[in-house]
Amino acid sequence: MILVCGGLADGVTELVCARLADFGYRYRLLDLAHYPASYCVVWHWTDAGPAGVISGPDWTLDLDAITGVYVRFLGPEGRMPPEGDPVVAAALQFEADAGLMALLDDLPCPVVNRIGAGMSNNSKPYQALLLRRAGLNVPATLVTSDPAAARAFQHEQGEVIYKSMSGVRSIVRRLGPDQLARLAFLRHGPAQFQAFVPGRNVRVHTVGDRVFATRIETEAVDYRYAHLDGLDVAMKPATLPAAVEAACLRAARDLDLLFAGIDLKEKPDGEYVCFEVNPCPGFIYYERHTGQPISAAVADLLNGSKTRRLA
Amino acid sequence: MHLLLGHSWDSCCAGVLARLEARGLPARIVPAPLTPPARLVWRLDAAGLASRLSWDEQEAELASVLVRGTGWLDPAGWDPADHAYMQAEMLAATLAWLTGLPCPVVNRPSAALWYRGRASLMTWRMLLRRCGLPVPEQLVTNDPAKARTFGHHLAALGVAGAVYTPLTGEAGYLVATDAGWQGLIAVQARTPVCLSEPHGAPRPACIIGGQIVWDCDPPLEVRALEPRLRQLAADAGLDFLEVAVAPVRRGLAVVRVDALPVLEHFAPPAQSRILDALTALLVPATAPHAALDAP
Repeated sequence: MILVCGGLADGVTELVCARLADFGYRYRLLDLAHYPASYCVVWHWTDAGPAGVISGPDWTLDLDAITGVYVRFLGPEGRMPPEGDPVVAAALQFEADAGLMALLDDLPCPVVNRIGAGMSNNSKPYQALLLRRAGLNVPATLVTSDPAAARAFQHEQGEVIYKSMSGVRSIVRRLGPDQLARLAFLRHGPAQFQAFVPGRNVRVHTVGDRVFATRIETEAVDYRYAHLDGLDVAMKPATLPAAVEAACLRAARDLDLLFAGIDLKEKPDGEYVCFEVNPCPGFIYYERHTGQPISAAVADLLNGSKTRRLA
Repeated sequence: MHLLLGHSWDSCCAGVLARLEARGLPARIVPAPLTPPARLVWRLDAAGLASRLSWDEQEAELASVLVRGTGWLDPAGWDPADHAYMQAEMLAATLAWLTGLPCPVVNRPSAALWYRGRASLMTWRMLLRRCGLPVPEQLVTNDPAKARTFGHHLAALGVAGAVYTPLTGEAGYLVATDAGWQGLIAVQARTPVCLSEPHGAPRPACIIGGQIVWDCDPPLEVRALEPRLRQLAADAGLDFLEVAVAPVRRGLAVVRVDALPVLEHFAPPAQSRILDALTALLVPATAPHAALDAP
């Protein structure tokens, strides 16, 4: 039995559930919008791993019967409005989530993805070090609080972009005259600059040992926000060079991610450069544009059926 | 220079600083190394990683770093939303900077450790089990009857009460009276609670590199755990780790793991040995866990 932890209002979770249902893979949804209020949990740890049950409105699932877990935590907007003091309610929700995270971390079955595995995405430059070690090229990156160093980097690289290091306010922008005039504000703390990499965006989803590459055609600097600039986006399935595909799989494995969204760019000279790895990819956007069976691969992974369904 | 990333009120930082200075080695306690007036230039490209940090226009040539904090940005003068953003940015930059430093770093953090802060014993369970270290029996439930059954089960084995330990806090509360169980039911109406079997007096130990310092001389059966405790620190990728071992009804168990050891858990002689061992790690013949981008 597969356990899905997420919110039905979230399109990605809904798609995973729909695919599991299509394939006849048995699953239970722990709807995080209503967790813990609508669920009863009894998880018991002795010297072995956890044992016990999760009970939903009309079902009970033994932890021993879980063959795979898909989890996509929700922000406050996905939860039921809190009762009583919002600070206390948030603390109690945090406590409930901590228990669930501890359980998912300790289950012996595949978990897509365990919480600790996704933490590298909170520091893009840290993740860049890991990606480089996995054999992926990363763009020339400068993290600095020194305006002179930022100016010199721009002078050397020509076109430069800046983006957050943490993922908060994560929109990629070109470094232009307006931003150069504000470099003195770097004195408050470092910012991240990268050489602009020309070429075509390629999004790679690794699902276990399967790879789905999608080429994105757009004029936008950050294709995710192309609509804000009135620009179009087109997507097509792509085939990666074997070495790049192997490096993507190695990166996902090194980060302990069974399912990962990897952002690449293919330069005009054919070289591939990696920007980041998303541990909780919103793959629905790519699947709907291309028909690539990403959700089917996730369903097979959770069911332990590898590529049987896809073959 | 030896950099102690933490606060001067942290006795661990203060003790190591005193030892380094006594050896005539330049050292400094810095709570947030990347905040003004620091200037960081961290560059990663095809040639590799180059990192330079300057304070007061002088480049800090780091001989070692002891990580005792994550670099908290003072919120004074910041709009709360901007402060949250800047704090996230500072954490991200500091993690990358520490990861790439070529000098010895104790404890060089992984992202999981960096962002999880002080993790509960529950979070360490899988690693403890893999190292063959016993842990107290624990129950997470929002079912009042199951919680009470757990209490009865312990009582039948001669153990009075159960310990309620919030997973997001550090305190533990013995639940042993009817009033205590009623109070627990009130919490369970809002969230599952974590109950543990009570344990006897904890015996703290610090693992520093390959060395283990006990608070006081332990009996043989406790010392027998040492190879597994070393394995725990190695598997966690940490050079400096505190654990506490205590008797439970089935024998000994690890009842606390902390990647940020607290010196005050130890008597002065043990404190002194810990600080000596820690200082030796920072001024080593062999470096601790190497930088990710080390040649």
